[in-house]
Amino acid sequence: MEAVKSALNFSDFPRLDLSIAGLVAAFLLLFPVFPHSSFAMATMIQFLMFSLYGMGWNTIGGYGGQVDLGKAQYLGIGAYTTTVLLIRWDIPFWVSMPIGACLAVLWSFIIGYPLFRLKGHYFAIATIATSLVLKDLFEVWEFVGAARGLEISPIKYIPPDFLRLIFKEDVYYYYVILGFFFLGILYINWFRKSRLGFQLRCIKDNEHVAQSLGVNVHWAKIKTYAIATAFVSIVGSFHACYIKNIEPEDTMSLDISILIALMAMLGGAGSLWGPIIGAGILIPCKSYLKEWLGGTAGLAGIDLVLYALVIMLVSAKEPRGIWGIVDRIRRRKRS
Amino acid sequence: MALLEVKNLTKDFDALRANDHVTFSMEKGELLGLIGPNGAGKTTLFNCISGLHPVTSGEVIFDGEDITSLKAFDVARRGLARTFQVYVASGDLDVRENVMVGCFMRTRSPSRAMARADELLSDLNLKNISDALVSELPAAAQKRVQMATALGSNPKLLLLDEVAGGLNPSEIEDVMAAIRHVHENLGVTVMLIEHVMELVMKVSHRVIVLDSGVKIAEGVPEAIAKDPKVIKAYLGERYVREHEQELV
Repeated sequence: MEAVKSALNFSDFPRLDLSIAGLVAAFLLLFPVFPHSSFAMATMIQFLMFSLYGMGWNTIGGYGGQVDLGKAQYLGIGAYTTTVLLIRWDIPFWVSMPIGACLAVLWSFIIGYPLFRLKGHYFAIATIATSLVLKDLFEVWEFVGAARGLEISPIKYIPPDFLRLIFKEDVYYYYVILGFFFLGILYINWFRKSRLGFQLRCIKDNEHVAQSLGVNVHWAKIKTYAIATAFVSIVGSFHACYIKNIEPEDTMSLDISILIALMAMLGGAGSLWGPIIGAGILIPCKSYLKEWLGGTAGLAGIDLVLYALVIMLVSAKEPRGIWGIVDRIRRRKRS
Repeated sequence: MALLEVKNLTKDFDALRANDHVTFSMEKGELLGLIGPNGAGKTTLFNCISGLHPVTSGEVIFDGEDITSLKAFDVARRGLARTFQVYVASGDLDVRENVMVGCFMRTRSPSRAMARADELLSDLNLKNISDALVSELPAAAQKRVQMATALGSNPKLLLLDEVAGGLNPSEIEDVMAAIRHVHENLGVTVMLIEHVMELVMKVSHRVIVLDSGVKIAEGVPEAIAKDPKVIKAYLGERYVREHEQELV
């Protein structure tokens, strides 16, 4: 009961933040009502998906300070589980999604147990490696279509199919992922005030201090990594039903892992709104840059240059991202 | 029964012997000082007792239980808390949140942890800075925050590692008052490493002296101050001359 109350309690934010958040929420709820292009709709769905990936990443990467660059592998596990279960045994999304999350969490324990013996850069590099290995395995695994991937054929189902999450119009997908988005915010709002949330922030500060306060540092990291994994895997399952065509390259590639971490870091690692702000900036940038520049004169890949620039700026100027700047200004005003 | 018993504790860092067969015990309710020159192995001893370093040989018995091979977090959960000499705060947690982490050892509920933290903050005169970031506080306040955080876990024994280091005389008075409050009013047994002799000699019931990892003396403060071995190794002739009146 206390957990639910805590999740719904945003009273420690200043009124300005809550007003802005309310306006954004209202806009998100009403967006499909306004006239919009299908491209804008697709961008909005991507924004919501990546916000959720970022929120998941933010638990271990932001609050816990463990830079994880391998989140895409869990996206892949979620997406493949849902697709395989649907194609082979006609198991609907609402069943396959939790199964996928369980598999992903199981995999995250196997990965996390040895990896969290590593610190700092070594941990980050190891997460990249495990993710790439999994991608390579999927590329040669015939059962899941190897490098060609798998396709959910929409003509087999009668849309709108709410059980299997097969829709013709994007607006259905939009509201489904928006529901997850709001639930994700409530979860993180609970998480950041929970015992585990506090313990993680202490771990980020100083692991020895955390241990001396009774925190089992290794286990706390593994648990949080599993939470982050569940987030990513659930959205991965959604991704499969939404895109309907998955292959290792566009579910498990390094680009995705980096983009997830980057958004959270740009917006503000270790803050509730950070990943959303980051996704709100980078996803439209990415979509529209691709649209405008990608087609012309060999400028494809300019978005990667942009990411690199953002990484350098954030890590040099303000490691806590945009939210860190806001926070600093506020503290200065108060004192 | 002794609350803490350390038997023949030895700690080697490769070729360097940091603690050499250290043996001592302390009773519940005692206030024990640990002094010695820099590099004598005082902090290493704390690290070994609190489980941060694995010991090379020897035993640590806490409250009747052998805790020698337990991990640091397990030791802490049994009621042995500590502070750190050098605390590098990255600046993420404010004072109240810091203290709450300690309180979370005994409760899952955030509201209960916060209530307990507020209690401790007013106990240790930190209420007025409860929203400040720890990293932005002066050293004296940081030390008191560390004490409050450690106390959040309701420890039976508190190890304080140089809580008065680098403080000015009035700040030392504050810290001394805080230590006495913790010991007398909260009933916590305290062991402290300290270089500030005014503090350690005034508050300790008993003092242990380490030199090059070896325990060279143990006794009441008055006797320690006159012990020729201790004077030679650590206190120096000047300290004895300056404090002659008090010591007689």
